[in-house]
Amino acid sequence: MNIKFSDALKVIVSSHIGKAGLMLLAFLVGVSIWVLATYPLDFGTKEWSNPTVWADNPKAVPPKWVNLLPGTDRVAHSVLESDTPDDVRTAGWVKAETYLMPVSHDFEDFPTFLSFTMNDVKFQGRPPLITLSLARPDGTTVKLLQHVPSGARDGETAPIIRYEQTPFRLLLSADQTVRAALADFHNEQYGTDYNERDLRGLGDQAAFGVPIPGDEAAFESLRGDYEFVVDITFASTEDSLGSVKAVVGGDVFGGMGTDSQGRDLAVGLLFGFPVALFIGLLASTLTTTIGTSLGVVSGYMGGWVDTAIQRLSDVVANVPLLPILIFMVIVLGSNLFLIILVLVAFSWPGLTILIRSMVLQLRSGQLIEATQALGASKTRIMIRHIFPQTAPFVFAQMIFFTPAAILAEAGLSFLGLGDPSIPTWGQILEQGFRTGAVYVGYWWWVLPPGLLIVLTAMAFVLIALAIEPVLNPRLRTMR
Amino acid sequence: MALVRTLGLRAATLLGVLLTVLVLLVVTLGASGFSDRILTAVINEEIRGLRTSQATQSRNPDALEAALEVRRAELIEFYGLDRAWWQRMPDTVFRVITLDLGEARTLRSSEGSRKVSDIVLERLPNTALLLTSSLIITAVIGMAVGVKMATRVGSKIDRTVSFGAAISFALPAWWTGILLILLLSFTFNILPSGGMYSTPPPEGGFSRFFDLLKHALLPIITLVLVSVGPYLYSVRTMTLNVAQEDHVLVARAKGLREGLVMRQHILRVAAPPIVTGLILSLVGSLSGSILVETVFNWNGMGRLYFEAVAGTPDEGLIVALTFIFTLMYVVARFVLEVLYLLLDPRVRYA
Repeated sequence: MNIKFSDALKVIVSSHIGKAGLMLLAFLVGVSIWVLATYPLDFGTKEWSNPTVWADNPKAVPPKWVNLLPGTDRVAHSVLESDTPDDVRTAGWVKAETYLMPVSHDFEDFPTFLSFTMNDVKFQGRPPLITLSLARPDGTTVKLLQHVPSGARDGETAPIIRYEQTPFRLLLSADQTVRAALADFHNEQYGTDYNERDLRGLGDQAAFGVPIPGDEAAFESLRGDYEFVVDITFASTEDSLGSVKAVVGGDVFGGMGTDSQGRDLAVGLLFGFPVALFIGLLASTLTTTIGTSLGVVSGYMGGWVDTAIQRLSDVVANVPLLPILIFMVIVLGSNLFLIILVLVAFSWPGLTILIRSMVLQLRSGQLIEATQALGASKTRIMIRHIFPQTAPFVFAQMIFFTPAAILAEAGLSFLGLGDPSIPTWGQILEQGFRTGAVYVGYWWWVLPPGLLIVLTAMAFVLIALAIEPVLNPRLRTMR
Repeated sequence: MALVRTLGLRAATLLGVLLTVLVLLVVTLGASGFSDRILTAVINEEIRGLRTSQATQSRNPDALEAALEVRRAELIEFYGLDRAWWQRMPDTVFRVITLDLGEARTLRSSEGSRKVSDIVLERLPNTALLLTSSLIITAVIGMAVGVKMATRVGSKIDRTVSFGAAISFALPAWWTGILLILLLSFTFNILPSGGMYSTPPPEGGFSRFFDLLKHALLPIITLVLVSVGPYLYSVRTMTLNVAQEDHVLVARAKGLREGLVMRQHILRVAAPPIVTGLILSLVGSLSGSILVETVFNWNGMGRLYFEAVAGTPDEGLIVALTFIFTLMYVVARFVLEVLYLLLDPRVRYA
């Protein structure tokens, strides 16, 4: 029964299944370490569940690479940022800055939205005048927006800073003034007869298109190079602006797409790596620790201790896990540690029963008899002489239980009972399912998280399968 | 006598499970203050409703308030809120054990009955339909393929199927369901994505049955996909273990036909754990049904449980349903014990 760790590893590596499992596990651990090093620990509450972080992303769009598929030509997502003016002109006390943000639009479709953001406007006395316009490929220019930050309040002294904590953000495509400006532009340029109401919901089309003649307002995409131009006229040369940002909302986003709140799924899925491993490993370590110690004690001590432990594990082993788990979470609240605790509390008996039967055999062996004769205490015998002989088996069970814990948590999250402060793959899937992503074919939202759950569970199952021949030489196959 | 004693001991243990689960439920509900919170909310809701309905008729606000206070006191006594939870809860335990499951607050059976037992009896056959058909399919595939694999250990087929079994173990049932909906229902539009009947349900016995079958297909495939892998693999391992025993070698040395060796000397010996494994996978599907039925909108016990916990939790219903789930689980386990005794003479004559 004594198996060296290195031998066990050799058996695992010698099988294809074991090799695949170890490689998967190495990948999972690698990504987890990277995520832990780069993500804030309060990622869930600070970023994932914070809508302002994701405001400038398109909602429920597939990943960028779908454009590689034939016949797919979805609008790319462009974030244009600038914190240094392209042109500065001063005349006496007055200063004018110009920021240029070029973007090329070569799609049949229109952007999904347009937004403009700026921050840290600093001025001495009079606030600056900010103008946003869009230069179009046909040489025309639309003036979209004019804005003056609110001036000094009573008792406020220079320098006055606006939009420092919360930047100024405007969803251009949904703004009434912007629509009015666009209607005027088209009426003047193309002789149409639009008013602001006609362009409702068509803001981005009006900005990136030319009108199609007809009674209803309709546009055709105008392909070519566009440029957002931000002109700022400051009343003092000491005044300044932090940075400006214009977003041309695309129909595709990032490597994994976004959910219906515009959250970058790649970011959420990455955070799921360490969480899944943490859940699996913590739950399985605790379960095997409890299961093994009770099993060793039960088998070695015998008598009423044995009977008590066996009855207890018989009872606990027969409790249906998922209903109890659901019940506990409903009553006591969703907390990741509570979930793990309940998982552990109802999962140890299987191992206890198995270990006990092993210990019963070991107890009558000569090794134990000899140590008893030498006067070793019961505790010492159990820890130093019995436990090591069961260790390889315990280790295998630990690996085998890990995917079960991961799957249980994912299932619970899928019912909407996951810990809301920690995003997991199960929760991402749940939101996808709950918002009907399955029925409208948002595959990028429901496939990857499930696939990752399967891969993680697979890594452990494969290793467990490869370990089996170590413990049970009969299963060693000819190669 | 040994038989009776063994079965008696098992029955006692399983009864212990039922009691333990109930006590656990009740203590958690009581000690966490959840029960008090829910009941207070229920009473407040009722008083508020009463106030709005009475306010139009009563001219005297003071008299109304006094009447409401009297009503509130009545309700508090009715729900037992005037007593501590450990005084109030034993009644609940006793009621549930005698299968007097009480009434649901908002859920109704299709005929409008609010009795929990009516609702459960309406949903139970639906779950049974899913579970038994998937169990039968799993058993047939698992035994056939598992035994076949055991005779060809190490072959390409064996390795491929082992790998497939690992995938099957790692597949969460609910995600598999989603995957199938996405593929067969959304993309190819072959099968309905959920529910039990089309709307409106077709008339006539046969077409109605066919409609039900069409809706049941996806959930059944899902359940089979996730349970067949582990089962198949355990059949393979158990058959393999027996196949390498000395008595099998002797049987072969005697020149018995391979089929006979397989049936009489290997499978007969491996039968008890194989059957046990089957029921264990049934027990697993019982929990899994909560998730699968939620995915497929299937009107069974699992979805009922989900409905009871979603939104404002219905305390009485949750306790009753968790109890019913445990009861189903325990009954399945007892059947398993009996089967094991029937199959394994060593236990019978011990």
